[in-house]
Amino acid sequence: MTPEAYYKPRTLEEAFALKADHPEAFFIAGGTDLMVLMRAGICRPSALISLRHIEPLHQLTVGATTHIGAMTRVAELLEHPEIEERYPLLTAAARRLGSPQVRSVATVGGNLANASPCADTAVALLALGARIRLASPDGEREIPLDQFFVGPKTTCLFSQELVTEIILDEDARGTHGVFIKKGRVKMDIAQASLALWARVKDGQCEQIRLAAGSVGPVPLRLPEVERVLLNHPLDDDRISQASTAAEQTVQPITDIRATADYRRQLIGVFVRRALRQICTESR
Amino acid sequence: MAYRHIGQETPRPDSADKAAGQAVYIHDFERPQMLHGKIKFAEQAHARIVDIDTSKAERLPGVKAVITAQNTPEVRIGFMRDNFALKRDKVRQFRDEVAAVAAIDPDIAAEAVELIEVTYEPLPGVFTPKEALAEEAPLIHETDPRGQPRENNRLDLRYHHESGDPHLGRQAAKYSVEGTFSTPLIQQSCMGTAGCVAEFDRNHHLTIWAKTQIPFLAQRDFIQMLGAIGLKERNCRVIVPALGGAFGTGLDTHAYEYISILLAWRTGRPVKVLYDREQEFSYLSPRQSSEVKIAQGCDENGKLTFRWVDVLMDNGAYTSWGATYPTVMMLPATSLYRVPNVYFDAKLVYTNNTYCQAMRGYGNPELNWALESNLDELAEVAGIDPLEMRRINCNRAGEITPMGLQVTTCGLRDCLESVSEKIEWTAKRRQGKRRGVGLASLFHVGGGGRIYRSDGSGLILKLDDFGNVNVYYGGVEMGQGLHSALSLGVAEALGVKPDKVFVNPTDTGTCPWDVGTHASRGAFMACNAAIKAAADLRRQIFTHAKSLFPKIVAKNLKRYQKKHPHYTAPDVDVAALVDRSTFEMRDGVVRLADAPDEPWLSVSLDTLLRGIHFRSQGEMLLSHVFYDPPNELPDFEKGRGNMSATYAYGVQGAEVEVDVETGEVTILRLVASHDVGRVLNPQTLKGQMYGALAQGVGYALYEEVCTAEGRILNPNFADYKIPTIAEMDFPIELDFIETDDDRGPFGAKGVGEPGLVPTAPAIANAVYNAVGVRIRDLPITPQKVLAALKRKG
Repeated sequence: MTPEAYYKPRTLEEAFALKADHPEAFFIAGGTDLMVLMRAGICRPSALISLRHIEPLHQLTVGATTHIGAMTRVAELLEHPEIEERYPLLTAAARRLGSPQVRSVATVGGNLANASPCADTAVALLALGARIRLASPDGEREIPLDQFFVGPKTTCLFSQELVTEIILDEDARGTHGVFIKKGRVKMDIAQASLALWARVKDGQCEQIRLAAGSVGPVPLRLPEVERVLLNHPLDDDRISQASTAAEQTVQPITDIRATADYRRQLIGVFVRRALRQICTESR
Repeated sequence: MAYRHIGQETPRPDSADKAAGQAVYIHDFERPQMLHGKIKFAEQAHARIVDIDTSKAERLPGVKAVITAQNTPEVRIGFMRDNFALKRDKVRQFRDEVAAVAAIDPDIAAEAVELIEVTYEPLPGVFTPKEALAEEAPLIHETDPRGQPRENNRLDLRYHHESGDPHLGRQAAKYSVEGTFSTPLIQQSCMGTAGCVAEFDRNHHLTIWAKTQIPFLAQRDFIQMLGAIGLKERNCRVIVPALGGAFGTGLDTHAYEYISILLAWRTGRPVKVLYDREQEFSYLSPRQSSEVKIAQGCDENGKLTFRWVDVLMDNGAYTSWGATYPTVMMLPATSLYRVPNVYFDAKLVYTNNTYCQAMRGYGNPELNWALESNLDELAEVAGIDPLEMRRINCNRAGEITPMGLQVTTCGLRDCLESVSEKIEWTAKRRQGKRRGVGLASLFHVGGGGRIYRSDGSGLILKLDDFGNVNVYYGGVEMGQGLHSALSLGVAEALGVKPDKVFVNPTDTGTCPWDVGTHASRGAFMACNAAIKAAADLRRQIFTHAKSLFPKIVAKNLKRYQKKHPHYTAPDVDVAALVDRSTFEMRDGVVRLADAPDEPWLSVSLDTLLRGIHFRSQGEMLLSHVFYDPPNELPDFEKGRGNMSATYAYGVQGAEVEVDVETGEVTILRLVASHDVGRVLNPQTLKGQMYGALAQGVGYALYEEVCTAEGRILNPNFADYKIPTIAEMDFPIELDFIETDDDRGPFGAKGVGEPGLVPTAPAIANAVYNAVGVRIRDLPITPQKVLAALKRKG
């Protein structure tokens, strides 16, 4: 039950070499998901390869292009004043992730690579149009985040591939971002969550992205809703259309946390509320 | 009456050690050579056991014993004797214990458990009382404990009450309302999970360190078990370590405890069995679920004319204290508000679900949920304000209720007025904006609760040469603050400072008998016993003082004069004073009531005690008492008997806001006014109330153990939600009404449970006031509220 070894590589190359030697080993970032699965006996890695000591994965630079190292802890993200200033949407989502204890060890890269449909930072990063950089022994590649998620707990990562950083091309200052999440209690896995990012001019969204959590097999972009809203006046009628479109787009399931029907209703409400908020903000 | 310590904010004696991590919980506790036991659970709701293959587990290095019902004597458990420590022929619930392992460490034990292979022949299961009562339903128990064949799944327990003429009362009602209300399984969510360590000495006597609230009844159960395994006449000593909350989970003995004893006996070594959080959720008994059908009616003036209550309970596969909730449900059903005509009946049915045990409130929250929700519905139909409805039917001191409960003091009216004022009832009832207020009252035992032949409580006070007071009490400090109340009570009654009082660990080897820490009786019993013992000790001290006091003060005077050469003592004939005056003791100093206030004319308790001890034919002072309160064991089939020496009342008010788009209920404010008789230690009392309110809020809005075909679906805090500080982020106003009950120690009533009893209906009534929807099945989740709002249109 207990892994036989715990490795602490200092470079990506070392990490890949270890993985090549121990194909049954798991990479571990913050471990807030993996440890739970291991304890429950659902996941039994032969060894763990920690990514904690690989320095480049911790780099966080904010600028014209912002790079967030995959091993950036969620708490670090929250404590970073420039992130808060430029991407309040991301901090709003990060603040609702888990408990203070979880946030102090969970990593942004881990939250993405775990590929849970409810991942809070994934929803915000999708709305922010993030790209991610992936590395493997064969080299590196960059893809838009919305191509990363394939299904529940499944990504397009190859077996030896890792997320190394998250890239935000735009400085979100002067734009609007809203994150709304509802759980059974405040500290909970989302029953539904919504992130909305928009550039508003003269009462119209000239750029808009919406993403939703816990209402589909993966964190979902909502392009149908974006199309309803793009370059149209944000009036009540348009908001109501967008809300209906969102309810029709999402594909929630019923589980112990909420029924599919309730999740669908929540997304409709969240879209209305987020749009009303940006109307107020941009007035 | 003015008290020196009672009513003073006093830090708890156990808090520093607990905060510093120094208190020893069962998790920390170890014995030399100790093994770790793990249990193989059925993971089948209803099946015949065909074969258990333990050979692989036995071969695993580090494993010291593997036991099953095949290789151990039969150990029957539970008060109906319908359960077994290890199951032999069939399993009846998901969590049934089929085998167990003792190994040198917990990981090896867990691995061995996985190697045990059990072959089952599945049987059809029944998972609702309705299914279980169906004509052709499979029998959960084919025979009763005596081996007689059973015909159906009904339990042979009868709880019934009828008073007045319920049928006539129904006809006489101008208005009446009927409804069915349900409550789910609830996890007690103790911070400290369950566990024990069992050890035999070389004379085959057993010591068990157990997470229990009933050390002496547990001792009886375990001694009975020792007899069953061939150890007749052997003793069992139960020692209670520090407990991280019990909330009723320690009121019965559990299969895991018997298993640890079997493993310890088999291996000759101490064995610890400890549940982790998931096991606690999956394999320990939760709070009993319930379905209460209730009707109440009133005349044109709002006076209640009848109350009709039918309770249906899913007992699960075996019988523990969950099955006795109706004994407490009967109290509010017959006695909350003045109702002349009452019908109460409860049915219990075996199913293949988890069996249930006690939890704080013990049936009262379940019944109160129905009663107080339904009363608001009646008030609406009758066109009477819900607060006024409760005023009209309010209980009064001196009344004897239909169940025969004697109301000695009653603070209900004061509690109603207190909540009304603090919640701004009249203004807030009509505020609109999806906000509303609601309230609910409660009635509970407050002076012990006789549900057993004895409701007694023994206590020993032992004085040492230093004036320390050692207390030996059989009740259990489980985090609620019993030792805080007890040390204050001893200090007050004896006349010493609280920091000279030391409450010793609960141990059946050293403490006198107590029936258990349940029914909100801990502080009530302990302090009443303390008052009795302290009076006896004071009498002994003062008797000895008659001869010793003059000699000691003469010495005092000499010493004082040496230090203060210019001091002239007044002319006091101490011997004469001793004859005509009486002794008194305060803060551990003994004086004469009529003596002048001279610095030498008093004796400290320790000096006096040494004087009593160190002389020819010396003595050590101690007192042992047994307090058995003036109450009766009710006849539950007839529903009559004054179960408690006094009764507690309370009213809670809630202000809520409802999000009509998501269905979410936000609590804006809670007010809790409780008739506590007398505040003993405000700090401890407030702690108990805040904790109870948080549990009440959890019960109202969030908590529910979900099951599917007997399996628990949310055995963890990821999916079983209790309120955190983020949910409790609203003002709570407490008000304590002091009715100063003659039967209570210093006037106090028991208050351990009442704090969570009326919270859920108060919130539900507020939700109704806010948005006009009535939820009848707890918890009040946003999904239910939203669905109800949609139905309402």
